[in-house]
Amino acid sequence: MKHINTIETRDLCESAKKGGCGECQTSCQSACKTSCGIANQACEKKESK
Amino acid sequence: MIHQYQLGGYNIVLDICSGAVHVVDELAYDVIARFQNESREAIVAALTEKYHENDEITPQEIEACYDQIKQLKAAGKLFTEDTFAPMAGDLKAKTSGVIKALCLHIAHTCNLNCSYCFASQGKYHGDRALMSFEVGKRALDFLIEHSGSRHNLEVDFFGGEPLMNFEVVKQLVAYARSIEEKYNKHFRFTLTTNGVLIDDDVIDFANREMSNVVLSLDGRKEVHDRYRVDYAGNGSWERIVPKFQKLVEAREGKNYYMRGTFTHANPDFLADIRTMLDLGFTELSMEPVVAAADDPAALTEADKAVVMEQYEKLAELMLERDKEGKPFTFYHYMIDLKGGPCIYKRISGCGSGTEYMAVTPWGDLYPCHQFVGDEKFKLGDIWHGVENHAIQDEFAGCNVYAREECRDCWARLYCSGGCAANAYHATGSVRGVYAQGCDLFRKRMECAIMVAVARELAAQ
Repeated sequence: MKHINTIETRDLCESAKKGGCGECQTSCQSACKTSCGIANQACEKKESK
Repeated sequence: MIHQYQLGGYNIVLDICSGAVHVVDELAYDVIARFQNESREAIVAALTEKYHENDEITPQEIEACYDQIKQLKAAGKLFTEDTFAPMAGDLKAKTSGVIKALCLHIAHTCNLNCSYCFASQGKYHGDRALMSFEVGKRALDFLIEHSGSRHNLEVDFFGGEPLMNFEVVKQLVAYARSIEEKYNKHFRFTLTTNGVLIDDDVIDFANREMSNVVLSLDGRKEVHDRYRVDYAGNGSWERIVPKFQKLVEAREGKNYYMRGTFTHANPDFLADIRTMLDLGFTELSMEPVVAAADDPAALTEADKAVVMEQYEKLAELMLERDKEGKPFTFYHYMIDLKGGPCIYKRISGCGSGTEYMAVTPWGDLYPCHQFVGDEKFKLGDIWHGVENHAIQDEFAGCNVYAREECRDCWARLYCSGGCAANAYHATGSVRGVYAQGCDLFRKRMECAIMVAVARELAAQ
């Protein structure tokens, strides 16, 4: 019996090796202006995904 | 570290440091909860007892489940160790000295008189002022000079009410476009407006030049008009809603957000979301007010319980509307599990004071729009650059691991440590945490991930 369904996600440990191009949007700039959070930001470095 | 929770009929397990998300059955949920602290034999014995009335859950099945979890751990998808803390400072330092976003305070004045405004009706506790073209042009030059190899540069026209200085906005956009090719840059402009001055000219310009527009609407008429009034005390809802509808219709799919604030007057903000939907808007953001505890607008502990429930109902509404073929976006529930931000972004946060700065109408630099008006946070100006290095260093040192309270929080890599301004106002330090905001943030993340999981499983 399969007990666990793993959803496909970006591997953060892998992204530590090649992430950080810095082209992504400034978190607060886009819509809220009062509460930082980064989970809803898009990655601009397409080839790293 | 893991975080496990039950919501929307799903048992969800997050592996915090790998970013993995698992949807599990009840047995796996129980095994995972015990996995790190109990032996295999103890887990099998305890769960055999718990499920003794369930014929399908035999000791062998529990062992098989245990092995699946063990395999996921070995594959780096469960109970992954946090190895990011030592590299946090270095990751953030990778981009030191590079500025990629400015919030231009194009108008320190406003045609509305909203009592909950953090910017004291657009004046930021100072004098009314409009940014001149010369100051704005210098700000854009300053941004290019300090942007290093960054290609995408963000400029938000902010206020006060930026449309009270619309001619300068247009001139600055034209200037920026004229130098993009020369410097190999791309400007992404955004505009945050209360809507009062929107006309056909604004609509045409915004839809041509603004990559995003943020439109302030609090939802229900009676809620909106409680705070968002003009200087004669008249509500603005009737005046702005038709303008927003016209702008959004003409936008033809380009980004926009209806951005509302909920307060003690409307912790049941889902009704405001429904109003926005009924008005034809689908890109929505509702923010909890940030106010001192003695402010009548501030959310109380009783309100917070209502808000938590509203967040769950909002998630349910999104999934219902998906099924009806009428999806909508809630800014804080946007989460791209496959392609979201890398670990650099998750550790570094918003970049205030380093990658992102606010520029006053007279050219002073502040770490972000929320610090404008507080003289001790002045970083410098657009002619001489950053001169207050002590303050900038404080912001440069802000990363999620620099905040003690964040180190053991499961949501730290979804939040990145939160808003420095909220932290400062709540604790007196930009490296503090705004605890009330943390509770709401964690609830939003649980809901956002549940919605993402439900959509993924529906697609499967």
